[in-house]
Amino acid sequence: MSERRRAAFLNMNDKKTDLVLAGVALAFLVLGFVFVIDIPGRAVVHPPPIPLVATNFVDPAPTRVSIAEKLKHGADPSDYDCYICHERNKPLKLKLDASGDVIVPSEHKDIVMAHGGHKRNNNCFNCHDENNLDQLQTRDGRQVKLTDLSPLSTPQLCGSCHGPTYRDWEAGVHGRTSGYWNRSMGDISRLSCVSCHNPHSPKFQGREPAPGPHPLHPVAKRPAPEGKAE
Amino acid sequence: MNRRNFLRTSGVLAAGIAALAASLSPLRELSDFSSAEEFMQKHYKELTPADMEKVLARISREVEKQYGLRPHVKDYKPMDGVEFVYCLNLTRCIGCRKCVHACVAENNQSRDPEIQYIRVLKMPHGSLDMEKGDHNYSPDMVPEKGFFYMPVQCQQCKNAPCVKVCPTRATWTEPDGITVIDYDWCIGCRYCEAACPYFARRFNWTKPKIPKERLNLNMSYLGNRPRKQGVMEKCHFCIQRTRAGRYPACLEVCPAGARKFGNILDPESEVSYIMRNKRVFIQLKEELGTSPRFFYYFDV
Repeated sequence: MSERRRAAFLNMNDKKTDLVLAGVALAFLVLGFVFVIDIPGRAVVHPPPIPLVATNFVDPAPTRVSIAEKLKHGADPSDYDCYICHERNKPLKLKLDASGDVIVPSEHKDIVMAHGGHKRNNNCFNCHDENNLDQLQTRDGRQVKLTDLSPLSTPQLCGSCHGPTYRDWEAGVHGRTSGYWNRSMGDISRLSCVSCHNPHSPKFQGREPAPGPHPLHPVAKRPAPEGKAE
Repeated sequence: MNRRNFLRTSGVLAAGIAALAASLSPLRELSDFSSAEEFMQKHYKELTPADMEKVLARISREVEKQYGLRPHVKDYKPMDGVEFVYCLNLTRCIGCRKCVHACVAENNQSRDPEIQYIRVLKMPHGSLDMEKGDHNYSPDMVPEKGFFYMPVQCQQCKNAPCVKVCPTRATWTEPDGITVIDYDWCIGCRYCEAACPYFARRFNWTKPKIPKERLNLNMSYLGNRPRKQGVMEKCHFCIQRTRAGRYPACLEVCPAGARKFGNILDPESEVSYIMRNKRVFIQLKEELGTSPRFFYYFDV
């Protein structure tokens, strides 16, 4: 088609169209420039960076370190020898206060007696053997050495009163069982009662929780009262 | 064509191209293009052992390139005669959230923005309704009186809604009960996130950020290898540990021993003992018929 006929067909052969087209093209170029170099800036609010969690929250170590564990890791056994202070063959007697509660001697002031609700089990010699301070005694007359290294012996002491818990512990259900669920592929490791429970105040201690989940976007501020602008 | 028309046409063309370039400019921020090898990779279920070797080598190379550390990537297959079940003792959980962070460390989850597979809910006594749970608790001491704590993660449902809705079959249930995701097959449509009633699924909105010093180098294809932007991820029962016979990371760190895991088909396992002897609930939206493999129970 000839130039003139094309232009006539498209109605584009006048100056006004030229100006409009040039204006639109310029507008797009400017807009394109604005977007490419990001003049208005992205409307993204960056939340504050989330700090890494403290390593104690991923540490599988049990709650307490029992005497047996301390000895396993090189503690001095004479720290746990009762006869450095006590006399052998001299049975101890408990001192009770006016309401019948045991008075913990000042030499053992780090021991807080809170075993059982209503101070039901605050009698030292329910577990300790007053005739032989190296031993603990079960309700059915068996002896357990105070410094016994095996996690299998302390449960027999605690289990002599706490039967259902002991049964669960034996099944691996009370307390943590770590290692291999598939026993043919590896070993498990069990903890003794005193790795989690202080024998004098056995209630499982509370602790500080790890921080809660951080939201993906900053939480929107609540609208200010009395119609003020947000 | 005369000069005027030429100039006019070229002006309009230039403006048009500039506008197109401007509209496509956000794509400049996409740096994570998959390699041709990754793009042409087959679905996990179609990979031959030789293909899988190549894929594992590619993943190992990519991790080494990104983090400067050589990982050990393996494809763990399910064991025969094993169906995993998780039991959680609600009398024991104290809400310390150590399980949340042990999971993050074991499974190479993004730290910023944060992805955590486990969400611990602080529930008021007397209700098992998840909607009443508070996940933002931060007191000085847990547990708080009058509340119990319920950690929620993927329930590995027998009748999983996420598996049903996936348009590409990127997620499916394995013979040992774990619902897995093939991260190279996921298109990031997030239908599974919408379908899951437990908020178990997490999406990578951006490229995950894992600090190099906390990278877990013991990786598996279906489990904890580092993911990329635009794919879903979720709890997979620590597939790299459990299919090697070990307990998952959340269980190993729990200070109260509230978590129990094992093979329900083994009558001697802890989980079988619990199912026989404890007051066990398959609550958590039991009425939806998802049939979770996650059982909550109480001791007393």
